[in-house]
Amino acid sequence: MKKSVLVIVALAVLLIPFCIGKYNGMVKADESVSTAWGNVQTQYQRRADLIPNLVNTVKGYAAHEKETFEAVIAARSKATQVTVDPQNLTPEKLKEFQQAQGELSSALGKLIAIQENYPDLKANEQFSELQAQLEGTENRINESRKLYNQAVQDYNLSVRTFPANLLAGIFGFSQKSKFEADETAQKAPEVKF
Amino acid sequence: MTYHRALLFILILSLHLCGKASHAWTVEDLPMVHLQDAHKWVCNPDGVLSNAATDSIDRYLTLIHQTKGVQSVVVAVKRLEGGDTYEFGMALAKKYGIGQKEQNSGLIILLSTEDREYRILTGEGIEGALPDAICKRILNRYMLPHLKAAEWDDAMLQTVKAAVGYLENDEGLLPEDEESDGNDLLALISLVSFTLILLYSLFLAQYRRCPNCGKRRLRATTRTYLYRNGDWEYYRIVYVCSHCRYSETKVERRPRDRGNNGSGGIFIGGGLGSGMGSGHWGGGGFGGGSFGGGSFGGGGAGGHF
Repeated sequence: MKKSVLVIVALAVLLIPFCIGKYNGMVKADESVSTAWGNVQTQYQRRADLIPNLVNTVKGYAAHEKETFEAVIAARSKATQVTVDPQNLTPEKLKEFQQAQGELSSALGKLIAIQENYPDLKANEQFSELQAQLEGTENRINESRKLYNQAVQDYNLSVRTFPANLLAGIFGFSQKSKFEADETAQKAPEVKF
Repeated sequence: MTYHRALLFILILSLHLCGKASHAWTVEDLPMVHLQDAHKWVCNPDGVLSNAATDSIDRYLTLIHQTKGVQSVVVAVKRLEGGDTYEFGMALAKKYGIGQKEQNSGLIILLSTEDREYRILTGEGIEGALPDAICKRILNRYMLPHLKAAEWDDAMLQTVKAAVGYLENDEGLLPEDEESDGNDLLALISLVSFTLILLYSLFLAQYRRCPNCGKRRLRATTRTYLYRNGDWEYYRIVYVCSHCRYSETKVERRPRDRGNNGSGGIFIGGGLGSGMGSGHWGGGGFGGGSFGGGSFGGGGAGGHF
């Protein structure tokens, strides 16, 4: 009787450092996912911030393309409303986010395509620079998404592998989802020079 | 007979020319001249640029490296595999870790003449000095007009000049203080003693007996950061025997430290470099430059011509 109690206590004592290590590892991985997600949202926000300027510049040359402007502005306000808390990165939430941003991407694609009909706009230096900013921002979005996916992969590995998954269950570390490779809507606007 | 021979000659010549005409460079096989010579920054394997132009560009980029700690790579080639300067530049940045780690001060300027593409890529730390719009403006004003006239030298030189001008005006960027050609004695001493302690504590088990005199163990004296490849960081390490001064240089890798200092890495493998039997201290090889491990976030601008 006494012996078995001792054995159990000894086992528990031996296991505690292991558990602490695993737990801290999961917390760390969770934190880096949050950071990476924050960065993704920052880059999308950066794109949203560029839009008013871009629309105004295009308006100066192609005032009657009203529908396109309205589509962009509507998509923008919709996209900025969808934010996801990093603690709540479920597949549904992420999909909603991705879809809203995807709609904005395709609306922006149409806005950029307008230049083909307006040579003056195409030659305008300010427009060219805004377009470069948009392209750079799309690139930043892609890079930040890659980093996010990497962080999620590391996190999911730490949560799902045995025996850490037992601990993860106890402390409520659930899996997080990655960005899926593109549907057509998510494609970056084709920026041609 | 002579007719056949002439035909054969032409055939061989044309095959030869085809093979040589334009190799599509990959990130793996593009020679990185800066690693051989710390004052060279221009990768010009196809000879797209003239020597005079690369010399001038090197001077500007050495200057901006010294004054603002910006590490640059200029790539001028005929063709890139995939033909995408953005993907190529980002992969290059990732492979070598271009830019100082503390400032993320990397700059890459690419021109692929047969893909007809050009691009400036900015490290995260110089996006302030060279925002995308400014990159585009530089390209539109200094690169594009020359490219349309096939004046590669002027295109690259003017672009580098303009970019350096913007970087020089950035008060936030700090000058290079490490690895400044080994002039800074104090820094060198502290670096050497630090690496000695580090190596003593971590890699005692890996010490080998001197192959020359066999009396003492080889001791690592200097460790220079070279570049990063995926999860590995590569270092150049000089081993010296304290008895007979035999020295050898090796390139070794260790797992990349992802910010958590607790997990001290252990050197694995090694022996990628060649052993150098020269008898003097240091074992030579200090002329080569290195990159600091800076990261790129996708900033910059580019286009077609």
